[in-house]
Amino acid sequence: MKRKILISALLMIFTALPSLALAKADLTVAVDAPPKSMNPHSYNSDANLSYMSNFFDGLLQRPAPEGKLTPALATAWERQDALTWKFTLRKGVKFHNGNPFNAADVKFTFERMKDPKFSKFLNIANSIASIDTPDDYTVIFRTVKPVPWFAETMHQNFIVDKESSENRDSGDYNTRPIGTGAYRFVEWVKGSYIRMEANPDYWEGAPQLKTVEIKPITEDATRFAAIAARQADILSGVPVPLIDRIKKTPTIELISRPARRCIYMDLGNRPGTPYADIRVRKAIAMAINEDEIVKTIMRGQATPAAQVPDQATIGYDPTLTRLPYDPEGAKALLKEAGYPDGFEITIAGPNDRYINDKQICEAVAKYLAKIGLKVTLDVKPKSIFFEELASHKHAFYLIGWMDGSYDFGRSAEMLVHTVDKDKGMGVYNGAMYSNPELDNAIVASAAILDRDAREKALQAVNRTSVEDLAWIPLHYQQDVYAALKASKLKFTPRPDRWIVVKEIKK
Amino acid sequence: MRRFTENAFVYSFLRDPSAIFGAVLMLAFAFCALFAPAIAPMNPYDLASIDLGNFLLTPAWMDGGSLSFPLGTDDQGRGILSTMLYGMRTSLLVGFTVVTVSSVLGILLGMVGGYYGGLLDAFIMRCADTVFSFSTTLLAILLLGVFESRNIWTVVFAICIAGWVKYARTIRGSVLEVKENAYVTAARASGARDARILFRHILPNVLPPVFVLMAVDLAVVIMLESTLSFLGVGVPITEPSLGMMISIGKNYIYAGMWWMVLFPGMTLILLVVAINLFSDWLRDEMNPKLARNT
Amino acid sequence: MARYIFQRMIQGVIVLLAVSFICFLIFRFTGDPVLMLAGKYATQQEREQVRVAYGLDKPFYVQYASFLGNALQGNFGKSYVSQVDALDTILERFPATFELALSAILISFVVGVSLGVVVSLRPGGALSRLIMAGSLGGISVPTFLMGIIWVMVFAVYLEWLPPFGRGDTVQIGPWRTGFLTLDGLTHLIMPALTLSGYQLAVLLRLTRAGMREVLGEEYIKTAWAKGLPPFKVIVKHALRNVLIPVVTIAGLSFGELIAFSIVTESIFQWPGMGSLLLVSIFETDHPVIVTYIMLAAFIILAINILVDLLYGWLNPRIQYD
Repeated sequence: MKRKILISALLMIFTALPSLALAKADLTVAVDAPPKSMNPHSYNSDANLSYMSNFFDGLLQRPAPEGKLTPALATAWERQDALTWKFTLRKGVKFHNGNPFNAADVKFTFERMKDPKFSKFLNIANSIASIDTPDDYTVIFRTVKPVPWFAETMHQNFIVDKESSENRDSGDYNTRPIGTGAYRFVEWVKGSYIRMEANPDYWEGAPQLKTVEIKPITEDATRFAAIAARQADILSGVPVPLIDRIKKTPTIELISRPARRCIYMDLGNRPGTPYADIRVRKAIAMAINEDEIVKTIMRGQATPAAQVPDQATIGYDPTLTRLPYDPEGAKALLKEAGYPDGFEITIAGPNDRYINDKQICEAVAKYLAKIGLKVTLDVKPKSIFFEELASHKHAFYLIGWMDGSYDFGRSAEMLVHTVDKDKGMGVYNGAMYSNPELDNAIVASAAILDRDAREKALQAVNRTSVEDLAWIPLHYQQDVYAALKASKLKFTPRPDRWIVVKEIKK
Repeated sequence: MRRFTENAFVYSFLRDPSAIFGAVLMLAFAFCALFAPAIAPMNPYDLASIDLGNFLLTPAWMDGGSLSFPLGTDDQGRGILSTMLYGMRTSLLVGFTVVTVSSVLGILLGMVGGYYGGLLDAFIMRCADTVFSFSTTLLAILLLGVFESRNIWTVVFAICIAGWVKYARTIRGSVLEVKENAYVTAARASGARDARILFRHILPNVLPPVFVLMAVDLAVVIMLESTLSFLGVGVPITEPSLGMMISIGKNYIYAGMWWMVLFPGMTLILLVVAINLFSDWLRDEMNPKLARNT
Repeated sequence: MARYIFQRMIQGVIVLLAVSFICFLIFRFTGDPVLMLAGKYATQQEREQVRVAYGLDKPFYVQYASFLGNALQGNFGKSYVSQVDALDTILERFPATFELALSAILISFVVGVSLGVVVSLRPGGALSRLIMAGSLGGISVPTFLMGIIWVMVFAVYLEWLPPFGRGDTVQIGPWRTGFLTLDGLTHLIMPALTLSGYQLAVLLRLTRAGMREVLGEEYIKTAWAKGLPPFKVIVKHALRNVLIPVVTIAGLSFGELIAFSIVTESIFQWPGMGSLLLVSIFETDHPVIVTYIMLAAFIILAINILVDLLYGWLNPRIQYD
């Protein structure tokens, strides 16, 4: 008798099981990085901003495919003089909790961004001297020094609700986002998925797909498994080794577009080191067979780069070209510079930051070994690598860059300007490249108001940096996505790799 | 020769096919690892000799394979066979170093604790209990996790931190038994110094079980090293390691490139099985209470 | 008895203090979290501003003292990465790890012990030889490799089982379980088998050794002679005595289980505490790492005390003094 009851109970449980499973979302996207926090100012990596762009809006936005700056929570903006920026706000917008959006929220947001406890956007927040709100729908920013790219960053400074943010404790604030965005937050199961639902009151009109699930899967092979098993409609960050395999799969479509990020080798010109001699820098550049790297390591999913900024960036110079691949020439240059037997060189880089970063470092090491340098490889997790970079431990390393502001001015200040702690220059100039003329040109360009004149000035800065070999650009990454054909989605990838769900249509 | 085969130890060994198999395999692996530079078709960590153009080749007998890379290549154009041979060097180097260091450490601490007793003994044994309960694997992962830079020697260090415990416990137990024996008391009565008693009279009598432990430990340490390297907290990527090879190959299993996981995986398993077969025999031999009959 | 427990607890506290101190000491010299805390575009001055805001400019002993003070109130600090309470972050992942570990323990215990009994009954039989060969495999294949082999066979080639994650889960109060959905159960199979592998082989070998000793004892021979049914002799008389040391050893190797759960979770992207630990290690998230280590230490110490007490209770000959 006892046994019978047990068996029937078990049967009941098992038949009830499938009904407990949740209904499948309208859209499931598998991405390669998990969100770190639901505080929109906690992290300025593309990975985190991508999630935030669904829950929050910035004053401006950059819709796919080009990423041109267009209105969002602000309807108009203007640089009134070198230091003053005026934004006119949109009326009738509501936060997900029902609070109306107005100038007080904008002021609150940018003031909160100055607090290191809440924000990693200190750079842009600290450049603001004062915020005035003459009425509920006008905000006037005055910056500390000329910041020509101020408005260019407004698509990623997400606006939070003043009233609720002040009252919530930080645990809640960091896990449950309340914004004005196209999607409302439903659930975040850490390590598994994030669920969101369409915001029916969205100011652009409710988005088409009602329920959306984003699944972060960091492991490359498993991410592919998700789409192969039809557990995801779209896959962001298709692992390079599997590209050929996906091309052969009839049910999956491969979508790729040039990415903004440029991967480059950074090197300095510190006196007393071999790198002080431009012939040595040239030899290193000529030794690297970038075409082979693109073909083998990147499976063709990259474009060789002649400069660091990408086409969409102000300061891009289409006339720049790469040095030719010429190992013999490189050897000759080394000899000329007085290093016929080479010298010891360490190649540093992260092994968990960029697409195939470790493999690229290994390949560069091989090329340099072939022109007679004594190479040591020193790749490590990004958390350690970037710290060592900041303390100038490495003279030659791999790094990638794309500037969220679409402006080469800020990149130049951080990457090639002489390291100057007091002025906050050269933060990522780990190899300590220094060229006073270039420094002056960079600083001068920031004060130019006219956009075209500024572009010319930045192009000149860019050209000097390339001709003086302040860095050796390798390639622009290519972003590769996969989509399940059966889902019939209209999906246009963005230049910044964000998954902005409102742009995905059925 | 006759006397040699009549020795009970050798006799039982020669009658046990799996022990012979294990020992032969072990020697073969050790030989390959030791002479890897001579045997391997290439040195996969000599940067100048690798050609990226040879990346992801299939094993020689399949379409697209090449005879210069009998087992295929990885994503950097390194031959799988060569990398495996060099990786085995790392495995065995780490294995033997850890076993040597932790057994010596464990023997010393165990003997001192067991012989002198008292507060010192209590302290050593409390430490041993604590470390033991954390387990070698967990301690090594956590310790390497908080280290900033890692190399073969940090791996050895992290494993040894907990590795000495089993030796110390075993030795201490035996010392407690042996030290009451007549010959020890006699030596003490004749005024021999402690060090002499410990090393001349006690050590030889407590050593045999340690050999079994060492054999078992070698297999465990080799697995642990590959596990740590697989997780990314073991030897750095610039050093060859079977665990690292498998972790690279794992990214390619969906692309159908099974050889990058299967060959190093099988090598690792065979190596460990060989050691375990041998140590099984050794244990039964040294522990006659449990005569082996399977 | 009470005195013994008290003594063990004092020891436990000393261990926890030592563990936290060592963690702090090592962190002092490794990985500067300020860089990550300040963000990508921060200047050097802004980094210093962050250092002060988080108290990372203070001397080592001040930082350690404030950590201890907070820890005593159950506050282990906030994750550098998510800015959420570190203990909450870890405990949120606890159900996933617990369900995985529990399944693995059950599998290894039930299968390991019964196979051990089978082998001990007919040591020379073909079945026994097969099982022993399998157990040799169990202790010779590292957990991570076993996991990958499972994935290659059952997910990549046969496409029978899902290769990653927990599948559909159900939230019951604070607990999120995967036991109640079919999807959740199928996702559990491979990770649980992987995690149980090593333990299973060890339990099998221990049971076999214990059974062989016990089966030779007088009282078992008497039981056979009395004509008791074989099941009763084996399970009630023999196995009961064998299980005491087996359970003890299994309990004492709990640390091993936690370690292998880290490995298993990383292979199957199981959203538990182990995979969180690995991510935190690579992100230099010190508060989460320290909290994890303290929690693991606490669990291990607690289980050790429990096992000791249980052992004493089952085996009254042991005296605690």
